[in-house]
Amino acid sequence: MSAAGVAPTAVVAGRPSRDIGITLTVAALWLLLALFVVYPLVMLFARMLGMLGGRGSVDFGALLALLTDRNQLRAFWNSLLLAFLVGTVGTLAGFLFAFTATRCRLPGAAVTAIDASVLLPLVSPPFTTAIAMIFSFGPRGLITYGVFGLKGYTVYGLGATLFSEALTYFPIAYLTLRPILTAIDSNIEGMAQSLGASRWRVFRTVTLPLTVPGIANAFLLLFAASLADFATPLILAGNSFPVLPTQAYLQITGLFDLRGGAALSFALLVPALIVFLLQRYWVSRRFYVTITGKGAGQTPFDSVSPGGRIVLIASVISITVVVAYFYALLLYASLVVALGANHTPTLAHYRVIFTDGWNAIRDTLIIAGFSMPLGGLYGILLGYLVTRHRFPGRRTMEAVSMMNYALPGTIVGIAYLIAFNDPPLVLTGTALIIIACYVFRYGPTGIRATVALLQQIDPSLEEASQGLGARSGTTFRRVTLPLIMPAFFAGLGIVFIRSMTAISATIFLVSISWTLITVKILEDITELSLGPAAAFSVLVVVIVFVVVAGISRVLREFRAPGAPGVSLFGG
Amino acid sequence: MSGTAMGVDVDRVSKRFAHRVKGEVYAARDVTLRVQPGEFLTLLGPSGCGKTTTLRMIAGFERPDAGRICFGNDDVTGVPANRRNIGFVFQNYALFPHLSIFENVAYGLRVRGEPEDAITRAVSDVLALVGLGAHEQQFPAQLSGGEQQRVALARAIVIRPRVLLFDEPLSNLDAKLRVQMRNEIRDLQRRLSITTIYVTHDQEEAMAVSDRIAVMNQGRVVQEGTAEDLYHRPATQFVAQFVGRVNLIAGVVQTINGRSATIAALGRAIVARPSPCDLIAGDSVQIALRPEAIAIAQTSAPGSLQATVLSSVFLGDKVEYLVRCGDETLQVARYNAGPTTPLAAGTAVGLSFAEDAVVVLRTSRESAT
Repeated sequence: MSAAGVAPTAVVAGRPSRDIGITLTVAALWLLLALFVVYPLVMLFARMLGMLGGRGSVDFGALLALLTDRNQLRAFWNSLLLAFLVGTVGTLAGFLFAFTATRCRLPGAAVTAIDASVLLPLVSPPFTTAIAMIFSFGPRGLITYGVFGLKGYTVYGLGATLFSEALTYFPIAYLTLRPILTAIDSNIEGMAQSLGASRWRVFRTVTLPLTVPGIANAFLLLFAASLADFATPLILAGNSFPVLPTQAYLQITGLFDLRGGAALSFALLVPALIVFLLQRYWVSRRFYVTITGKGAGQTPFDSVSPGGRIVLIASVISITVVVAYFYALLLYASLVVALGANHTPTLAHYRVIFTDGWNAIRDTLIIAGFSMPLGGLYGILLGYLVTRHRFPGRRTMEAVSMMNYALPGTIVGIAYLIAFNDPPLVLTGTALIIIACYVFRYGPTGIRATVALLQQIDPSLEEASQGLGARSGTTFRRVTLPLIMPAFFAGLGIVFIRSMTAISATIFLVSISWTLITVKILEDITELSLGPAAAFSVLVVVIVFVVVAGISRVLREFRAPGAPGVSLFGG
Repeated sequence: MSGTAMGVDVDRVSKRFAHRVKGEVYAARDVTLRVQPGEFLTLLGPSGCGKTTTLRMIAGFERPDAGRICFGNDDVTGVPANRRNIGFVFQNYALFPHLSIFENVAYGLRVRGEPEDAITRAVSDVLALVGLGAHEQQFPAQLSGGEQQRVALARAIVIRPRVLLFDEPLSNLDAKLRVQMRNEIRDLQRRLSITTIYVTHDQEEAMAVSDRIAVMNQGRVVQEGTAEDLYHRPATQFVAQFVGRVNLIAGVVQTINGRSATIAALGRAIVARPSPCDLIAGDSVQIALRPEAIAIAQTSAPGSLQATVLSSVFLGDKVEYLVRCGDETLQVARYNAGPTTPLAAGTAVGLSFAEDAVVVLRTSRESAT
């Protein structure tokens, strides 16, 4: 294409919009963002400084005392240490899986098996591995007590939390690294080999350096996930290893100190924001494009020696077995009277969750049912507007929309709790507050999918529609929308999965009238009724699996021939 | 910088692939090639003919299922690519995007553990040789396609390979650059006299660079020879059609007389020589005639074939005609020595050609794809 052909396209892509429909939509989105993203965070900040809720003066003394308290400082460093270790271990495991899946010439069925075992932790409620850890290594754990006969062994602490979080989050690293390893042109590795390099040298000097941006990206994603994780440490960290999100939660629910909780959650914000900005604006610009033009080798590069292949496959199988064991254990625990004590088969736990727990199930499904389409719609609308239209504050809008997504759930939850507890807008106790939380926290996945998809679709398609006399609305409906349907369903899927499995933000937002399965699981665990907790977890996994399978099917249907694809979990 | 030139022997090499629908298919079947030391051999053929697979087997990226590959007296059939000492240039260059131009070129030398000052000298020399001396510290993404191609070439020759292998190296370049680069590759190869095997589907490129060309189709080598051999004496219908443009006309052998044969075609007896010696009277054959071998004239000389112009296209250096001659439609090209007006459609013309321009081919079911 000539330079003259590119220039007008670039101009029109960001043309100022005078369309009244666009203006109204932009205004509505700004209003919603102001209300559900900016306002709660401002209120959180104000409350932390003591400007709200009683005294009118800013009281830094108490704030400083809290933040410099030895226990809280320890929690802060513990959080960072845990996040660092989870990032490292999880990225290693994710790389191992991705490398094995792409370089070991596995049969298709084996790759499908890897994908399935990796999908399980992604669609599970956050406690699943934690519960299985207790079943296995707890005071009457199947392994510690049952197999080794250890008494008084305590699993709680850094080790167990790290293990459980790494197992839960390594699939994120796998999903980040696998497309990068796949995209490395096998000719580049072949080239290095033809220049005399051994397999190991090719890996060390070519494959690994080309994956470094992806590794950094995966590490940061895992770091952020662990930093924000509230459920796993709550169950597994114990008293010896306090971390910030749990401390903030206990400050609020245990000591009824909303301000202290706000302050502690705010301490999380700094590392979380640093990590998010690094990931978004630094690492993502450092990816290498290795495929230039056509002509990638028809056969993947033979990068693994037979011995190495066995070691890699064996490692992957052992991790997969651990994942499978945990889930099998969970299923088993939901079907016996009391795991570790009485292994008589029973359906009693399921009876309990469908009677006593029915409200939670119903509420969760209603909330997920509303959040899903709203979140999907929000995602494509905002994604479309910021990519294809030029209006004042376009970049700011995109940045603001990402905030609730980037911040740890604890912060968002506490901010909502503070903001919507008092007039002008009292939402506490309603379903709306939970729905809004999900839409604005997980809808950004749809925004990013839409932006990524639109960047691959030439604006000339939309220009052609306008050239034929269509207005923006018509163009969007008839041309753009069908093309970005995959992003809509991807957003839909993520919002649904998170609505079923999230807890860190919404634990602060549930009420007597509206509660959630995940919160119910937590209650069950604290009351030591592990059977119903296991049954609830199994139920969530099954529901999410069914819905994800359905959405993936629709995604395939909607993928027009030649249109770029969107993965439900990609990006 | 040239290594000792070394011949390459490819001896009855085959490679099978499992195909989802067709089952086992041969990507290469009994391929035999003898490349002389310092020779430039091109594998020419349509996509899917097995030329790239053959090249990748010579490089060591694929293991043949049968046959032997020797570099000089060394049997390298089971030797991995990293111990064959070859230079390979890929279609998409396969430059290391994370390394500078200098480091890209130095890669093979570092692998060989050469001392730092030797590396610096060799890399500077070779980059100067390909005209990229000023770009050492840049990265591949900062270079144009032609420059990237030169880096790939420099990287392949700096290690003084025993054999230089090219896999469609010019197909990502635009037409003008392609001509320039192929001349550079040819010059460099002559200067360094490295035994070279080159894969392309572009017959003009093949003719421009090669000492010898091996035409491949459906996994087999169908004809080997110089560009002149292939163009003027194609052995099969496939080669005649693939190398250059050709009119194929059905005919029947009437008489054989030593090395010449009389063929009944275009409604008359056409003498062709030389012709395949195993023909007998009554065989049905095809005769191949290049468009430029047919002279076209408005005044029909005695003995010329009567024809009618169907259409003409003016192309600057020549005019291409489609003419109707009996039942056949023929392509005829007439080169312009000076300003000319193409003959109009419907003009009655006379066609003539020399006896030695006629090539007789056995009718075969071999297809052109």
